[in-house]
Amino acid sequence: MKHPVFPETGQLRDVMLRSLLLLAVAGLAYRAFYLQVLQTPFLQDKAANRHVRVVDEHAHRGMIRDRNGEPLAISTAVNSVWADPTQFVAVRHRWSELADLLEMPAGKLEQLIGQRLERRFVYVKRRLTPQLADQVKGLGLPGIYLQREYRRYYPTGEVSGHLLGFTNIDDLGQEGIELQFDQLLSGQPGRTRVVQDLYRRWVQPVESLEPALSGSDMTLTLDKRLQYLAYRELKAAVHRHRAASGSVVLLDIPSGDILAMVNQPSFNPNETSGRTPAKVRNRAVTDVFEPGSTIKPFIIAAALQAGIYRSDSLIDTRPGVLEVGGHKIRDHRSFGRITPKQILQKSSNVGAARVALGMDAAQIEEALRSLGIGRSTASQLPGESDGILAPAHSWRKLDQATMAFGYGLSVTPLQLAKAYAILGNQGRDVSPRIVSQPAAARPAQVITPEVADSVVRMLEAVVTPEGTAMQADVEGYRIAGKTGTAHLFRKGGYDKERYVATFAGLAPASAPRLAMVITIQDPKGEAYYAGDVAAPVFARVMSRALQLLHIPADGDSLPTRLVQPKGIPA
Amino acid sequence: MTSAVIKNLAPSRGSLAGWDWPLISVVLGLVSLGLIFVYSASIPYAGERLADSDFFLRRQQIFLIISIATAALVTQVPVDIWRRLALPMTLLGVGLLVLVLVPGIGREVNGSMRWITAAGLRVQPSEWVKVSFVLYLALLLTRRNKDSVVPLLGPLVVLLFITLLLLAEPDLGAAAVLAMTAAGMLFLAGLPIGQFLLLNTGLLSAVAVLTVISPYRMARLTAFVDPWADPLASGFQLTQSLMAFGRGGWSGVGLGQSVQKLFYLPEAHTDFLLAVIAEELGLLAVLLIIAAYAWLTLRAFAIARNALAAGNPFASQVAYGLGLLIGVQALVNIGVNMGVLPTKGLTLPLLSYGGSSLLFTGLALGLLLRIDHETRAAT
Repeated sequence: MKHPVFPETGQLRDVMLRSLLLLAVAGLAYRAFYLQVLQTPFLQDKAANRHVRVVDEHAHRGMIRDRNGEPLAISTAVNSVWADPTQFVAVRHRWSELADLLEMPAGKLEQLIGQRLERRFVYVKRRLTPQLADQVKGLGLPGIYLQREYRRYYPTGEVSGHLLGFTNIDDLGQEGIELQFDQLLSGQPGRTRVVQDLYRRWVQPVESLEPALSGSDMTLTLDKRLQYLAYRELKAAVHRHRAASGSVVLLDIPSGDILAMVNQPSFNPNETSGRTPAKVRNRAVTDVFEPGSTIKPFIIAAALQAGIYRSDSLIDTRPGVLEVGGHKIRDHRSFGRITPKQILQKSSNVGAARVALGMDAAQIEEALRSLGIGRSTASQLPGESDGILAPAHSWRKLDQATMAFGYGLSVTPLQLAKAYAILGNQGRDVSPRIVSQPAAARPAQVITPEVADSVVRMLEAVVTPEGTAMQADVEGYRIAGKTGTAHLFRKGGYDKERYVATFAGLAPASAPRLAMVITIQDPKGEAYYAGDVAAPVFARVMSRALQLLHIPADGDSLPTRLVQPKGIPA
Repeated sequence: MTSAVIKNLAPSRGSLAGWDWPLISVVLGLVSLGLIFVYSASIPYAGERLADSDFFLRRQQIFLIISIATAALVTQVPVDIWRRLALPMTLLGVGLLVLVLVPGIGREVNGSMRWITAAGLRVQPSEWVKVSFVLYLALLLTRRNKDSVVPLLGPLVVLLFITLLLLAEPDLGAAAVLAMTAAGMLFLAGLPIGQFLLLNTGLLSAVAVLTVISPYRMARLTAFVDPWADPLASGFQLTQSLMAFGRGGWSGVGLGQSVQKLFYLPEAHTDFLLAVIAEELGLLAVLLIIAAYAWLTLRAFAIARNALAAGNPFASQVAYGLGLLIGVQALVNIGVNMGVLPTKGLTLPLLSYGGSSLLFTGLALGLLLRIDHETRAAT
C-alpha cells in the first residue's frame, strides 16, 4: 500500500464522497418535502389532537338581590393554587416559602406534594383572596400555578342561608334559591377552542364556538333589613328559652311578598363545614307543626261565613269541660257563655270545639283548604311541604272537635302566615312569593270581607290585658293576633312536657299590611306559653318593621303594658 | 481550473481579500438564525422553569462572542503550529474523556456523563476530542512512513479507544460522528477499498452489537422504526418533531408561533431546534438550511483540494476532516429531526444552543479559514 495516496485516487474519491454527500442531501430534502407537504394532513391532524381542546368558558352566575337591590349572593373571582409536582420538586428548598405564605403547617406540603411526585396536578390551596394569589405569583416558584375560579359569597351569612341555599364547588346550586333558580342564575357556559401546552393549560383561544351567556340577576321579595331583624330576635328567643328550633315568616299582605323568612338553628353558607341537614333545612317551609290555638280564628270565620253563628252569638262553655267520644276537652277555667271574640281572646278550647261540632265536617275542611291549609303555597321555595289535613269523611267526632284548637292537622309556618294574610286581606287570597313578579290577576275572595274584618277585630282583643298575647303589643299600632301553645306530638302520643309555641299576627289591625308567624319548638325554660315565648318576638320585629316600611300608626299606645298578662293554655 | 480560481482571489497580506468571505457570510447567517431560534424555542421552557425567558438567549449570545473571538484567534495561528499541537491536544482530549467519567468531576445530565465543570464553566470534552482527533488523524495519514506494515493500526487503536470512552459516557452521537468522519478521512487518504469496506463492516457490526445489548438504544431504534406505535412514550420525542414539521408546511406557522415548543418537543432549543424552525418558517427554510450545510461541507472540500494542490497534504486532510465533522453532524441531526435516523443526542452545529458545540465549531471554522488563507498566500 502506498500512502498517503495522492492525488490520483484522491481526486476520484473526493468526487465520490461529494456525490454521496449530495445524495444524502437530496434524501433529506425529499424527506422534508414529504413531511411538510405530502404528509401534512396526517401530521397536522395528529398535532391538533394533542394541541386543540374545547374548554368551557365560565358564565358569570347571576347576583341575588333583595327587594331594595341589596346583594344577597355575589360571585367573585378567586384563584386556586395548584402544583405540578414534577417541576415543583426542583425547588424543594423553597417549599417553606409557599407554606409560610399560605399559612400551612410545616408537613402539609410534604404530605400533599412530596408523596405525589409523579403526578402532574395537585391542588395546594383553593380559593385564595386576590391579594394572596398575587403574593403566590410573586414568589415565582416553578411548577406552581394559579387557576381562576368563582366563589359564591353571601353577605348576609347565616341570616339568609336557609332561603338562599348555596352552590357547590362547581358553581351549581345545591339548596334554596340557588337550587330552585339554578338554570336562570347559572346562564350558559360558552365553549372556546383553544391551543393548549403539554400540561393542558390553555395558551391561546383559536375560536369561540359558543359565547358564554351570563346568568340573570334575581331580585327577591326579601328585605335584608327585616331579615336581619327577624333573625336576631328569633335567635335571641330560641337561645333565651333554650328551644330546639324556631322560624319566623313575615309577609307583605297585599302582594304576598315574603319580606323575611328565618330559622334556627342556622348555618353560614359561606363555609362548607357545618352543613348538616338539621341546620340547612328551611324549616319555615319544610317543617310542619300542629298549629294549636292559632287555628281557632279560621274555625270562627268558617262558622260566621256559614251563618251558623254571628259575631254576637253566645256559646256556652260551661262547665269548662266538654266530653267528646270519651275524651275530655278542657279550658283553663269555666268562661261561661261567651261570644266568638271571647273564645279567641281567652283561647277557649271548649268554645272552639262547640263551634266546630255545630258545623258539617265538610264545611270545616272546605274552609281550611280554601285558606291553603294542607296544600303547598307554591312559593317556589324548594322542599316546601303540603302540611297535613285529612279529608273530612275520615274525621271522627273527636277529630272534628280537637281540630278546632289545632290538633290533628299540621301546617308550615309559611302556610299559617298565608292564612292569616288572607284574613288581613279582607278575605282575598294571598299567594306568598319569593321572587318579585307582576301582581297576579284579581285574587279569589276566600272569605267575605265582612267576616274577615270581623275576625280581625276579634283578634285585636287577644293583644290586650284580657287576652293571651299582651306581649305582642306594638306601641302606636293596633295589633291583631293569636297565640297557640300545642303539645309536641311524639311517638306514641302527645308529650305533656313539651310544646310548640306559636304566634300569628297582623299589623296594623285597622288595615293590615304585614302578617307574621313565629313558631318556637320545644322551649325548655320556665316559660313555654306562646304569649311569653313567641309574642315578644312578634312585638320586637313588627314594631321595627312597621317603622322601616313607613307604615303609619293607627292606634294609641296602650297604657296596659305594665299589667301582668295571664297566660292561658291552649 | 482550481488554480485559476485561486489566482483571482490571490491575497494581499493584511487586506480583507485573503479570507473566504462567502464562507464567513454563510456561517454568520446560520449563527444569526440559530440565535433567533434558540430564543424562540427556549422562551416557554426558560420562562417557566427558570422564570427568565431570556436565559438561553443571553447565554448563547455570550457563547457566540467567545466563539467568534476564538475563531478569529485561530485564523492567526499558522497551520504548522496546529500540526505540532495535534498530538498533545488529542492526548489532552483523551485525558478529559477519562476525567469526565470520574464521579465528582463529570457532571451527569439526563443519564449521561458528558460535562466537566471547571471554574464555573461546563465543557464537553467530546467536542474538544472531535476537533483534536481530526488534527491527529490528519497528522498520521500524512506522515510518510514506508516502514510501517500496518500504517492504519495506530489511528484505529486511538479511534477505538476514544470511541469506547465516548460510549462509556454514553455519547453515541459523538462516537458515530467521529467514526464517520474518520472513515471519510481514511477513504479520502486512499485506504484500499477492500480494507475500507472491512473497516466499515467492523464498525457497523460494532454498532449493531452495541444497540442490541443496550435496552435503551434498542428502544430508541424500535421507536425510530415505528414512532406512532407508542407516541406517548418511546416515540414521543420523534412524533412531536414530525408533527412540528407537518405543522410547518410550506411556509411555516410564523416566527414565534410554534406550539410544539410549548413543552411538547423535548430539547427544542438544542437537539430539536430544526423542528421548531420547520414549524415556524416552513419547508423553504428547512431546504435553505440543508443547502447551507451542504455548501459549507463542499466549501471545506474545496479548501482541502486547494490545500493539496498547494502542496500541503496535512492542511488538506484537516480541511476534509473538519468539513466532514460539521457536515456529518449537521446531516445526522437533520436526519434525526426528520425521523430518518434514530435519536442520538446531537446538536445542530452553529444553530443549536450550547457553548461547547459552538466554541469548537468556531475553532474548526477558524482553522478552515486559516488553511484557506495559507493556501491563497502560497499560490
